[in-house]
Amino acid sequence: MKQQRMSRRAFLNAGGDAAKGSCIILTMPMILAACNQANEARTKNSDFQLLSEEEGLEYSAISARIIPSNDTPGATEAGVIYFIDTVVADNRDGEHQILKQGLTTLQSEGAAQFGVASFYLLNEEQQDQLLRQIESSQFFNTIRFLTVAGMFSSPEYGGNRDKVGFELLGFTDQHAWQPPFGFYDADYAEKGE
Amino acid sequence: MAEASNSVKYSTSQEVDFVIVGSGSAGGIIAKELSTAGYSVVVLEQGPHLKAADFTHDEWGVKYNFDLEWDWRKGHPQTRRRTENEEAVVGDSSLRYAHNVGGGSVHFSGNFWRLREIDFIEASVRGPIAGTNFVDWPITYAELEPYYTKVDWEIGLSGLQGPWDPPRSRDYPCAPMPVKSSGVLLERAAKKLGYTAYPAPVAILSEPHNDRPACIHCGLCNGYGCEVNAKSSTMVTMIPLALASGNCELRTGCTVSKINIDESGRANEVVYWEQDGTESAQRCKAVVLSANGAETPRLLLLSESARHPDGLANSSGMVGKNLMFNGYSQAIGLFDEPVHAYKSIPATRVVHDFWELDESLGFYGGGGIDSRHPFGGNLISTALSGGMFGGANWGAEYKESLQHLFTHSCSFDGHTTSLPLSTNNVTLDPTVKDVWGRPAIRVTYNEHPDDLATMKFFLDRSLELMDAAGATQMEGFVDENSPWTQHLLGTCRMGNDPETSVVDRDNRSHDIPNLFMCDGSSMVSSSRGQPTITIMALAFRAADLIIQSARRGEI
Repeated sequence: MKQQRMSRRAFLNAGGDAAKGSCIILTMPMILAACNQANEARTKNSDFQLLSEEEGLEYSAISARIIPSNDTPGATEAGVIYFIDTVVADNRDGEHQILKQGLTTLQSEGAAQFGVASFYLLNEEQQDQLLRQIESSQFFNTIRFLTVAGMFSSPEYGGNRDKVGFELLGFTDQHAWQPPFGFYDADYAEKGE
Repeated sequence: MAEASNSVKYSTSQEVDFVIVGSGSAGGIIAKELSTAGYSVVVLEQGPHLKAADFTHDEWGVKYNFDLEWDWRKGHPQTRRRTENEEAVVGDSSLRYAHNVGGGSVHFSGNFWRLREIDFIEASVRGPIAGTNFVDWPITYAELEPYYTKVDWEIGLSGLQGPWDPPRSRDYPCAPMPVKSSGVLLERAAKKLGYTAYPAPVAILSEPHNDRPACIHCGLCNGYGCEVNAKSSTMVTMIPLALASGNCELRTGCTVSKINIDESGRANEVVYWEQDGTESAQRCKAVVLSANGAETPRLLLLSESARHPDGLANSSGMVGKNLMFNGYSQAIGLFDEPVHAYKSIPATRVVHDFWELDESLGFYGGGGIDSRHPFGGNLISTALSGGMFGGANWGAEYKESLQHLFTHSCSFDGHTTSLPLSTNNVTLDPTVKDVWGRPAIRVTYNEHPDDLATMKFFLDRSLELMDAAGATQMEGFVDENSPWTQHLLGTCRMGNDPETSVVDRDNRSHDIPNLFMCDGSSMVSSSRGQPTITIMALAFRAADLIIQSARRGEI
């Protein structure tokens, strides 16, 4: 049994530090206004609202390393890139510049280290190697935050297509439960404690 | 806008009996009590009147866009610094509060812990604590008990009298909520270590009560509005009764800017903006401020005038001071079998053996430990914490760890005391303004060392319990100088001495005879981690005393 203790800010319901490392700040009216468009985009696989085709390919490739597709769906199947597009598209010019700058830097590193100027054209090992180098950057934290949010938010925002994200966590979007809730309270009831 | 219901409409030039600022845990109760007693009441609420049909399980909207709260993205910035020697910096809101009818009671966790007899007289028993404003309450448990019982029955609580609980005049109206696996883990661990876990008392219905249905255990509870009206907010329990009285007008989307005082030194008018910016002033015979522990002192400070250069009702200089959060620690563990703590209400078991820490430890404090889902049953929040036990926080291994983290995890949370200090306070920022052009709330907060020592003690106990529960891995945190809190306490506190308190034992301002303050700002001590039941009991009591005083012609 591993035991660690740290003195640091608690992860309360707001997801703590991970959200703070991100440059993205969002407002509800913005999301609501965009969610219908994102829904359409999701089903039609149409062009993005704001991201260029290159950005779409590149951010998708990064997301796919953060939550890869293997024997279970990943960021790609969930349509996370459409969530990212929605968020950045609505009056997020400042944040968009940060993402574009971060991408440019990442692409230069790829060119310098592997002789390939597009992230999505590198193989997975090369991609992971580059991402490990920028793990503490605001750019990576922002993409990671958006990827995770795009994976597990309500599908109305464009990601979590067909609720694959919910399934990944073992969560049924059921809205009502009855006891027994888990193993230990079932056991407790059986033993008459 | 005024509520389009069977309620009354007053004109602003008509002198109503009471204006109540805020419709939350305190304001909602006072509105119902005064209006059903026959008094004319106008309630001014900043937020909209959201109801069951408006509430969702939208984690993104609620947790990351703060849809149910006031914050800087809606044009309400706050600044924060540790001491007055630093410049306060704009950031995420430190003092977080709701933006809707019913206030925080709409989306709280509903953990309702009565204070005990010792809490009201602790300074006399322990002696003063150097560097703090630690004092007794001006009232005793016995005086508040009938109102705690009113909360139990009129608001609606589920629970069971515990072995350490203070005396009660009447049992809980509803049986305890069914235990969750997280509760069982705490209960068994507590037993092993010689402590007692018992059902957590909650303002959530386990069975139908007052024409409301029982909880459906939907799971996204803490921070979310209840979609079936089983969570006992003032929005669902008190406001409808107030409106049905025919004496209460609820005006939503109204932001109060100032309380005006007439020549005789009495409050006579409450000035406010409607959402379109129209300014109005409601005339009244008396004012009750229940705007929460951040906004009530701010409003008094904003109401300064030539006669009241330090703000209204502030002869003590204490308005805004003694700001207390509650301390927090968290031990998170993974288990072999599914815990599924994401279902049902946040907490079903609590350990109160550490209510008061022994003086021999060398620091002041106390509180309780309850058991919950580590991330409130939230999916994005859980996934963002992936890798917390030392693995990667992205990639294939990270992705595989997420399901276990969501379904097999449990936390033991410590909720603890904060001490009142003059240097912890709410003031008006000298430069930053809100969307209305008012000075922003500036928070100066640096917790007393005893608060941190208490959190660490509770973390140690929680980790021991987690080990005794059989966790296969564990991690622990304390919330040192918390970046934010929803427990906004102490800033216009009650007291008998006008030099060290803002309101008297009846929640009446020492300075202004027809101005009352009753909400989290009234708290003299921080509670042991869950203040809302005490705020609600104070509201029932304040309303009762206001009614008696009004009947004697004293208002």
